[in-house]
Amino acid sequence: MILLEINNRNVEETLLLKFKNALAGHKPESIDVTVADFDGVLFHISNIKSDKTKIRTSISLKFYKELQEHGADELLKREYGDLLIDPEDGFNVSVLIDLENIPDNYEEIAQKIGLLKRNCFASVFEKYFDFQEQGLEGEKRAVIHYRNEETLYVEAKADRVTVVFSTIFKDDDDVVIGKVFMQELREGRRASHTAPQVLFSHREPPMELANTDARVGDNIGYVTFVLFPRHTNKETRDNTINLIHMFRDYLHYHIKCSKAYIHSRMRAKTSDFLKVLNRARPEQKSTEKKTITGKTFHRKE
Amino acid sequence: MTGRLPACVIDVGTGYTKLGYAANKDPQFIFPSAIAIKESARVGDQTARRITKGVEDLDFYIGDEAFDATGYAVKYPVRHGLVEDWDLMERFLEQCIFKYLRAEPGDHHFLLTEPPLNTPENREYTAEIMFETFNVPGLYIAVQAVLALAASWASRPVEERTLTGIVIDSGDGVTHVIPVAEGYVIGSCIKHIPIAGRNITSFIQSLLREREVGIPPEQSLETAKAIKERFCYICPDIAKEFAKYDSEPSKWIKTYEGINSITKQQFNVDVGYERFLGPEIFFHPEFSNPDFTTPISEIVDNVIQNCPIDVRRPLYNNIVLSGGSTMFRDFGRRLQRDIKRSVDARLRISENLSEGRIKPKPIDVNVISHHMQRYAVWFGGSMLASTPEFYQVCHTKAEYEEYGPRICRYNAVFGTMT
Amino acid sequence: MAATLKPYLTAVRHTLTAAMCLDNFSSQVIERHNKPEIEVKSSKELVLNPVVISRNEKERVLIETSVNSVRISISIKQADEIEKILCHKFTRFMMMRAESFVILRRKPIEGYDISFLITNFHTEQMFKHKLVDFVIHFIEEVDKEISELKLSVNSRARICAEEFLKRF
Repeated sequence: MILLEINNRNVEETLLLKFKNALAGHKPESIDVTVADFDGVLFHISNIKSDKTKIRTSISLKFYKELQEHGADELLKREYGDLLIDPEDGFNVSVLIDLENIPDNYEEIAQKIGLLKRNCFASVFEKYFDFQEQGLEGEKRAVIHYRNEETLYVEAKADRVTVVFSTIFKDDDDVVIGKVFMQELREGRRASHTAPQVLFSHREPPMELANTDARVGDNIGYVTFVLFPRHTNKETRDNTINLIHMFRDYLHYHIKCSKAYIHSRMRAKTSDFLKVLNRARPEQKSTEKKTITGKTFHRKE
Repeated sequence: MTGRLPACVIDVGTGYTKLGYAANKDPQFIFPSAIAIKESARVGDQTARRITKGVEDLDFYIGDEAFDATGYAVKYPVRHGLVEDWDLMERFLEQCIFKYLRAEPGDHHFLLTEPPLNTPENREYTAEIMFETFNVPGLYIAVQAVLALAASWASRPVEERTLTGIVIDSGDGVTHVIPVAEGYVIGSCIKHIPIAGRNITSFIQSLLREREVGIPPEQSLETAKAIKERFCYICPDIAKEFAKYDSEPSKWIKTYEGINSITKQQFNVDVGYERFLGPEIFFHPEFSNPDFTTPISEIVDNVIQNCPIDVRRPLYNNIVLSGGSTMFRDFGRRLQRDIKRSVDARLRISENLSEGRIKPKPIDVNVISHHMQRYAVWFGGSMLASTPEFYQVCHTKAEYEEYGPRICRYNAVFGTMT
Repeated sequence: MAATLKPYLTAVRHTLTAAMCLDNFSSQVIERHNKPEIEVKSSKELVLNPVVISRNEKERVLIETSVNSVRISISIKQADEIEKILCHKFTRFMMMRAESFVILRRKPIEGYDISFLITNFHTEQMFKHKLVDFVIHFIEEVDKEISELKLSVNSRARICAEEFLKRF
């Protein structure tokens, strides 16, 4: 698994199971499940007023207010239409499915609900991609605090959209490994002509964010993606959003995998050293011998 | 829960891995603890062969997907409850966390489980992986038996919540009887019983083979398994049960309908005596295994008699079932009756020996069945990990960096105060 | 650079072989104690002059000898940040498993990355020349392993970056 999946498998499978059970004529059971997702997202799947046929899926994002400023509500209305209901207390968005009349495309709906988080994120990108397309310049930069202390900036120019991620490395070793990854990302353009330009800076924010509250620190990194019209046009933008909103998790996932890889190499090398060391021990002469019939005996000298 | 994300609870067993977020009733994912990897034909020993230059080590599948992947070798990193291959275990956890739970491990506390008699070194290795690779903020390694005890709290009033009891944990491979006193496992008194789900299935299979001819041979195992799960129960008395079936066959004999996987034709199997004979091998092991003839009730009794005298009464009072193979209807009731019988018999003997001068206080025997039994270990973990106390007993990353992996050798018992 | 490796290792090998001349020696201070004198340093006369063999500024070996024990500390080459953390991770990983390594010291001497402690009991049970072989093998391999690790981390990073950017 190199790329992370963008849908929430957990939510999707739970709902699919509900649909299938209902279609097979089983009695619906009550449900109350809370699961998390990357970036501090929480899902809550429950019944409304203990009616077991009405299943509500709610999502809470800490930064939903900021997304709302960029048209999250409209985008969700477009995607989910009448599935949307008033959000549950403590959550930002809720959708409802009714097991009493299941549409034919139930698999699609389950998948769509699994993509809730992605679609929330999409709003801000879509808005700025539109700005770029219309050539609107000088719009205020969007600032999304997508995690505690980590921020996402999106800005549109007439010919490009820049997306800046700030990310924190909690561990000192991660800073070093993270730097290697970010360096390679900068170089990665050579591999593919369609890739956006990537810049990175460690410790200090890039020039674009000069006079903002962007943090400075040893364990902080900034990655800038410069997206050109070929990424932001109507055909490719979905793909671009899919990739870019997972970037932070992708980076951290691979840092962790690298550490796992280092561990397994070290395990191999350590056992190798141990073997060499054990050569220094004189071999124990085994006195256990076997007869031709398979019996074992000890030979006493 | 002040904005804190739920903890992740991962119970990696020999057969199945259960994972999910704390405070839920059921694990979100249950899949075989299997991992499918690409094996290269290079020379050298196993560890050296796995070392690759690129990102080939990300090319693997776990759980059910492992069996569907073609061109991969399926491995089991856990054997007999203990982790055998740490490389594979680390990668297994990688996907558990990133693909299934979709958690950023830096944001969640983790509760992992260990079998009784796990070695402290294994705990250190686990800590090394969790803290160094995944940067988890907090880790707690809980003993499975203790979690199973905690899971039984759900069905009883608050004041009766204790961490003293006997856990009968029966999964697919083996059954353990584990005494726990105040949250600590009495390691020297653990007993293993070589009878578990798999044995019942094969016993039913052999019964069916003699009688039913309509079952396609390649489906006989799954048919037996389905029959076991759907129809089996424990009877109070086999002789009476036989008579019941003979007098009213139509009422008791059920029909199992299966579909031949090749011809797609339906076949019917009559399910008769095996409904109660299957699980009966817990109480009459000699039916299927000539080498092992001690019934489960006697083993439980022996285990308790081996324990320190001051915990025996509380142990009799709290016999907790856990695992899928204890789910047979009336399993608890039968076990309670049989243990009670032998306990009472013993008391009577001592009364007779004293010629009536000593009247022993009767011993309460209590076998506890509850509806969380199947995933009791996971459920117990989920429950404990959602209490605020969990966050106090967790080993934190700061502690790990200060003292090293040895902090995880000891995991404080908690939960008795609530 | 490579030209200096051989004489460096030869020097270490000869020094070690000479230093491996260990005897059973009970403590002069405490009755019935028998401790590695190089660690307890109970008396000046039991400890010999330490030897430092250096290949360059960063790579060096410190060999401290006493009557019943010898302590070998190795400083491993660390050219940049990533090698530094890899080296740190690796030595710590090994020291966590010192139990099975017998001659590995659980903590390095200050200024060095990893230390071994060989006592007369070890030399009595094991072949001396093989122990020397092990130390030499370790010095050779650890450099190789760390630079290989560094390369692999880099190539992993490259693959991941390319894989990500390719999808756009």
